[in-house]
Amino acid sequence: MRFRHAGILALCLVCLLLSGCWDYVEIEALDFVLGLGVDQIDPEYVVVMEMAKTSGGGQQASVEPKVLATKGQSVSSAGRALSNPAGLRAIWSHAYVFLISEQVAQDGILPAVEYIVRSRNTRSTIWVFITRDCTAEEVFKSKPPMANSVSEHLNAVVLMQETISGFLPLQVWELHQELADEGVYATLPTVRLVHEQGELVPLVEGTAVLKDDKMIGWLDGHESDIFCLLKGILQRGHFVIDTRVEDKGRFPITYELVGNQLQAKPVFKDGEISMSLSLDMQFAVEEMGRAPLNFRDEKMASSVEAQLATAFQEWVEELFWKLQHELNADVLGFGRLFKRKEPEAWRRFGKDWDTNFRNLPVDVEVTCQVVVAGLSSEPINVRD
Amino acid sequence: MFFWQRTKKNAPRPRGLDRLSTSLDANLHWFKADIFANDETIVYRRFKTKGTKPRDCVLIYADNMVKHEYLSQFVLRPLMEADLPKNLKGEEIADFLAEQVIQSDGSEFVYGYSEIGDKTMDGVGVILVDGCAVGIVVDAQGWAKRAISEPPSESVVRGPRQGFGEDLGVNISLVRLRLSSPNFKTKFLHVGTQSKTRVAILYLDNVTSMDLVSEVQRRIEQMKIDAVLDSGYIQEFIQDAPYSPFPTIGQTERPDVVAAKVLEGRVAVLVDGSPFALTMPYLLVEAFQANEDYYNHWISATFHRMVRYVSFFLTTSIPAIYIALINYHPQLIPTNLVISISASRKNVPFPGIVEIVVMGLVFEILREGGVRLPRPVGQAISIVGAIVLGEAAVSASLVSAPMIIVVGITGVAGFVVPSLHDLAVPIRLFLVLLASALGLYGFVFGAIAVVLLLSSMESFGVPYLSTMTTLVPEDVKDTVVRVPWWKMALRPRYLASKDRQRLQGQTRSKN
Repeated sequence: MRFRHAGILALCLVCLLLSGCWDYVEIEALDFVLGLGVDQIDPEYVVVMEMAKTSGGGQQASVEPKVLATKGQSVSSAGRALSNPAGLRAIWSHAYVFLISEQVAQDGILPAVEYIVRSRNTRSTIWVFITRDCTAEEVFKSKPPMANSVSEHLNAVVLMQETISGFLPLQVWELHQELADEGVYATLPTVRLVHEQGELVPLVEGTAVLKDDKMIGWLDGHESDIFCLLKGILQRGHFVIDTRVEDKGRFPITYELVGNQLQAKPVFKDGEISMSLSLDMQFAVEEMGRAPLNFRDEKMASSVEAQLATAFQEWVEELFWKLQHELNADVLGFGRLFKRKEPEAWRRFGKDWDTNFRNLPVDVEVTCQVVVAGLSSEPINVRD
Repeated sequence: MFFWQRTKKNAPRPRGLDRLSTSLDANLHWFKADIFANDETIVYRRFKTKGTKPRDCVLIYADNMVKHEYLSQFVLRPLMEADLPKNLKGEEIADFLAEQVIQSDGSEFVYGYSEIGDKTMDGVGVILVDGCAVGIVVDAQGWAKRAISEPPSESVVRGPRQGFGEDLGVNISLVRLRLSSPNFKTKFLHVGTQSKTRVAILYLDNVTSMDLVSEVQRRIEQMKIDAVLDSGYIQEFIQDAPYSPFPTIGQTERPDVVAAKVLEGRVAVLVDGSPFALTMPYLLVEAFQANEDYYNHWISATFHRMVRYVSFFLTTSIPAIYIALINYHPQLIPTNLVISISASRKNVPFPGIVEIVVMGLVFEILREGGVRLPRPVGQAISIVGAIVLGEAAVSASLVSAPMIIVVGITGVAGFVVPSLHDLAVPIRLFLVLLASALGLYGFVFGAIAVVLLLSSMESFGVPYLSTMTTLVPEDVKDTVVRVPWWKMALRPRYLASKDRQRLQGQTRSKN
């Protein structure tokens, strides 16, 4: 009996000793990659990494970002090629962002993102961006004023999307899905560099429109706001709209969007397809300047709401024209909606969806409501 | 010569020789030469009675074991002033003295040498009279006792401040004061061939199962040891699962705790000379209960209990989880944290496992130093520990700062559950070694092993985890939560099967 116990114990020990420690690492030997970028694919991959360079130890421990670029035959081999000359053991699992340069995006992003989607070394929640008018390396080398590194800065900006708006962030698993789904084209947020007090600062604004995996055009910040509304994505954007107040003239008034609801309904009737959208929005008046706007006056309030609806109706129609005729890319996923809700229509019209999308009648109904007027519903009176 | 050889081998004394003789000188000779040979603390006080025919007497006692004043005043003085009738012979003298002269509340007759030897060691006075083959034993026990004070190992903010002392009689009286009912029973046993230590088994007749009482008695009687100097001896001899680090017998220095445990149907064992009472059966859930839980508001008591459970988890698991995370799963740590841990570990020469074992050892050294040293010096130790070893080790890059935090949390959390403090160290080490070889996988395996061990244990026939593994509302009222007193109508199912009713009739006075 005693012998048997000893035998079991020995077996446990052998298992532990033979199978243990195989993936043991010391944490200080790892070099954490904060952001990744692909600047070039043809003829060779150029991969850029933003690393967290740690130094010190004890009470002098410090972290600073360092940007490294390498070449290789694929994303992973370029990453590995860095190990030898730079002497680092890169760990990709903490990377926040993945940047694809404009040039790569025009030729097709699939070779760049394939590794990111497939690999277990990167997170499926990594944010994907397309750089506009610059390379990923230039973005990583810019100097965000507050954050320690560009990747952290981009991550922080993305997390504030709801309040700052102007772009639609996408994680790599969502991108994967949009690339694979029928009846929808993917979009990616764009990042470009702007001059800010003598320094180049990354700015996340606008949307890159992809057809299959190739970039075919841009939406600017304002168009991206409307695009988000039409995708039904909650946001808190600010809009300055010239508003006519009775016969007292026109005043620029800042409205803040406090709520938005979208109902998109694919219609299949008498062998014809059309889209019916209804967009409800609630606004707060944030700043009215000299405008003598009194929200106690119901007539005045409803006139403002009507003007808001007209403005948005116009923007929405402009965006539709751009998407349908200029870019001819169904990034809103109307095709996917037809496929899900009107499969019969999709079977008939889905084969040549690009053409059918171009000619798709879209009926948009915008309703706006001002629900908050700040602390005072009346204009501030100035002594005569 | 023949006689000496036999006594040295502890052979039984011949029947004829173990009886007192009528000659006082012969008796004294046997005491001085045999029973109390070479014992200089034994006092032989010779005196004579008064009257026409004075008789030689001797008072024998062990120095400092008796109340000297009491013996002088109520035994010696009346004896020396006594006038013995002439015609008394043999045992009649002893009868006369016990009945009419000695003014003591307890006295009895003894007839043998060895019996007198044993009694003298218990602190009585023995009077031998010339011409009488009887010894008169007078109860005059009195030795230095510690005053009743608050127990240092279990101090409370709210609750009684009495703690047990070393005297068994006083200790029993402290419990009896709290359970003044004829159902409260005390059973005495003597353990130890040399020490003959008195051991008391305490229980409530109408609540405790008699099987339990007789089982405790049987186990104590089976002990064959020369001396019992503390209840810890008995604890190790009679406990279940002796190889497991988890305690299966409870210990306390507080009479209120003993009373509460006895009221729930447990048996308490008090040992003469030890301020620590043993309670059995002991379940794991008791380790997380404190007597203050029952004196404080039930909400705060419940909160503090949860803190204790969390602390026990922290003190056993935090180092293992930390090692697993930094050596195997850096992906699981939030980015900012992983980078700052990585930065602070730069230039640290040792791997994490060495760091954690060494720092754990240093912590235990400091603690042990603090416990063994007198209190003022102990404080100096803790200052040295905190400043020199903590601060200096980090700035010299010998250990990383996060490790100091891990070891600190581990150490402090260990103090929250004092009864499991000692066993937390081996469990922690076990889990750390597994985690350092297999990562979180190993940690989970180790935790499963600990739970398996716990669920296989029992204490005096009661499963060790009972009431912790159930979801029956009646049984969880005093586990992780402590419900108000007026909700606890029944005693624990496993302990007080005889009479489970704790509250009678109306449960709250103000309804």
